[in-house]
Amino acid sequence: MDQNNEKLLQTQEPEAAEASAVADNEPLDKNVRLMSPGRMVMRRFFRSKLSVIGLIMIVSLFLFCWLGPVVYTAWGETEQDTSGKVEYTRQEVTYTKDGQEFTFVQVTERGVTINSLAEPDGNHILGTDKGGRDVFTRLMYGGRISLMVSFIAVFAITLFGIVFGGIAGYFGGVVDNIIMRVCDILMCLPGFPILLIIGTLLDSAGVESQFRIYYLMAYLTLFSWPGTARLVRGQILSLREQEYMVAAEAMGYSIPRKIFKHLIPNVMPQLIVSMTLSLGSMILYEASLSYLNMGVRAPYAAWGTMINIVAEDPNILQNYINVWGPPGVCIIIAVLGFNFVGDGLRDALDPKMRR
Amino acid sequence: MLKYIIKRLALAVLILLGVSLIIYILVRSMPVDFIENKIAAMNQGGAVIPEETVQNMKELYGLEDDSFVGILKGYGNWLVKLCQFDFGTSFKYGSPVIDVIRDHMGVSFAVAFIATIFEFMIAIPLGITAATHQYSFRDYLVTVLVMIGISLPAFFFGQVLKDLFANKLGWFPPSGLVDATHSYTGAALFLDYLKHMFIPVLTVVILSIGARMRMTRTNMLEVLNSDYIRTARAKGLKERKVIYKHAFRNTLIPLVTSLAGLLPSLFSGAIITEQVFDLPGIGNIAYKAMIEADIPFIMGYNMFLALLSVLGVLLADLMYAVVDPRVKLG
Repeated sequence: MDQNNEKLLQTQEPEAAEASAVADNEPLDKNVRLMSPGRMVMRRFFRSKLSVIGLIMIVSLFLFCWLGPVVYTAWGETEQDTSGKVEYTRQEVTYTKDGQEFTFVQVTERGVTINSLAEPDGNHILGTDKGGRDVFTRLMYGGRISLMVSFIAVFAITLFGIVFGGIAGYFGGVVDNIIMRVCDILMCLPGFPILLIIGTLLDSAGVESQFRIYYLMAYLTLFSWPGTARLVRGQILSLREQEYMVAAEAMGYSIPRKIFKHLIPNVMPQLIVSMTLSLGSMILYEASLSYLNMGVRAPYAAWGTMINIVAEDPNILQNYINVWGPPGVCIIIAVLGFNFVGDGLRDALDPKMRR
Repeated sequence: MLKYIIKRLALAVLILLGVSLIIYILVRSMPVDFIENKIAAMNQGGAVIPEETVQNMKELYGLEDDSFVGILKGYGNWLVKLCQFDFGTSFKYGSPVIDVIRDHMGVSFAVAFIATIFEFMIAIPLGITAATHQYSFRDYLVTVLVMIGISLPAFFFGQVLKDLFANKLGWFPPSGLVDATHSYTGAALFLDYLKHMFIPVLTVVILSIGARMRMTRTNMLEVLNSDYIRTARAKGLKERKVIYKHAFRNTLIPLVTSLAGLLPSLFSGAIITEQVFDLPGIGNIAYKAMIEADIPFIMGYNMFLALLSVLGVLLADLMYAVVDPRVKLG
C-alpha cells in the first residue's frame, strides 16, 4: 500500500505494444514500461484540459501579483496621484424674466489636487480610484495579500488537521472522543458572525489595518481545522487495520513514525485535493471580510477592499466599472483556477478513475 | 433507533453548551459597549448622566463586571434564563430576541426557500445530462459554467446584477423589500415583494447551483457504473428507463440526505446578500446588532444558528437511514 515504494506496471501504448509483439525474440519486459504513481498522476492531470487551464490561470495570477510591481513601478500601492485635475459641476438654473421662463446650465470649474476617478489612459492603465490611487497597481498588491493569506491559512488548517486527526484516528478511545467532541463544537460555531465579532475586537486592540487580515485568518484557521481532522481520522481508521501497519508494528517503529511516515502519506492524495479546493473558498472568505471592511482597509489594497467602495457610493457602481470590476474578475480567476486544478487533481489521484 | 436519537440529542446539548460559552466570552470581551455608546449619545444631546445611573443601567443589563469571573457569572445568568426559555431583550431593537428573530426570519426564509427550489430544479437535470454524456462537449460546458458560478463572490456578483437589472435596465428595484413611494395591499403588495426579491434570489441560485450539480453528477456517475445498470441495459431496457427509473432513483439518496443539511441555510439568512440588497432579513439585522454589541441578540442569533446546524446534521443522518435501507444507525 505504501505508494512510495511500489512501482506500478503499465503497458505501453497499444500500437507500440503490437508493433513490438511482432518481434518474438525480444525479451518480454521490453514491452512493459515502469511508471511511478507520481508520473501516472501527472499524466492523468495534464491530459485534462480544464486542469491545465486552471494551472495557467493560477500561475499567471501569481506572476502578475509578484513580478508585476517589480516591472511596473510607475505608481505605488498607496501612492496618490496629486497631479490634479479640473472638476466640472453642472447645475441647471431656472429664472423668470418678463413672465418667461429661461433655463441655462451653469458649469462651475474647480481645480482639485488629487486626480481621483481618472479614466483609464496611458498614465493609469485602469484609471484611479476615489483616493486618486492607481487601480492597476493596487490590483497587483491586493492580489499578493489575498493569495498569500489564503495559502498560509490553508497550510495551517492542514497542519492542525493532520496532527489532531492523525492522533485521534491512531489512538481511538478516549483521545479520539475528546478531539472529536472539540471538533463538533468548533464546527457548530457560526463562522461569519464570529469573525465579525473578532473584527471589532481587533479594532479595540488597535491592530494596524494592514495586519488585521492575518489575525482574522488565524482565527479562521482555529475554527476550520476540524473538517480536515475528520477527513484524516476517517482515512486512518481504515488504514490502520491494513497488513502493512501490522508489519510496521512488528518492526517496532515508534508511534510518531507510524502515524506520520506510514499513515499520513496515504491520506495525502485526499488532503491535496481538499487543500486545493479550500484555497478557493479561503480567497472568497478573505475577500468577503475585506468587503465588509473587516479585513484589509484602505489605503492598503486587497481585492475585497477595492470592491467595498461600491457599497458606499452608488455613483461608482454605476459609472466607474474600471474601479470595481477588475478586482472582482481577479477573485473569480483565482477561485476558478483553484477549483479547476482541485477537480483535475481529484480525478488524477483517484485510482478508480480510468478513462 | 430511539436510543440512538436520544444519545445524539444529549450530545447536541453538550455541543450547544460549549458553543454558547465560547460565543459569550467573545461577545463580552467586545470593546463596543452598548451602554457606553448610549450614554455618549445622551451626553451629546445635552443631558448629563450621573455615574450612578450608568452603573445602575449596566447592572440592569448585567454588564457591571467585566472581569473573567464576572463574565462567567453573566454566562450563568444567561443560561438560567435560557432554561426558562427566556432569550432576553435585544438592546438595540428593544423587543424580546425571539420576537426580533421571528419578525425578520420570514424574508430570509422566503429568499432561501425560493432559491432552493430553483436550485434543485436546475441543478439536478444539469447533473444528469452531464453524467450521461460524460466527457462530451455538453459535460464540459455545464461543468465550466457551474464552476464559474461557484467561484463568484456574492458581494461582487450581487453588485453586478444590481447594476445590470436595476440601474441599467431598470426592470427591478435595486434594494429594500417594499416600494416606499406606493402603499400596496393584498396581491399588489405580494407582487411588489416578489419584484424586490428577484435579484437576490437570482444571485443565490447562480452561486449555489454548482455544488448541487457537481454532487448530482458524481453520484449519477457512480450509480451508472454499477452492475445492476449493466444488467438493466443487457435486458434491453430503453436508455430513458435505465437512467430515470434505475439510476436516478439511487442518485436521490444523497440528494434527499443533503436536503436535511439545508436546514440551517434556509433560516439563517445570508449576511452578505442581504447586506448588498439591503433586505430586512435576519442576516442584515444580525450584522447591525453585531456592530453595536447587542449582546442578548448576538447570543440568541448565534445559538439559533448553532441549534440549526446541530439539528441539520442529526436530521441528515436520520434521513440517510430512512432513505437507504442498507444504512443501520448505531
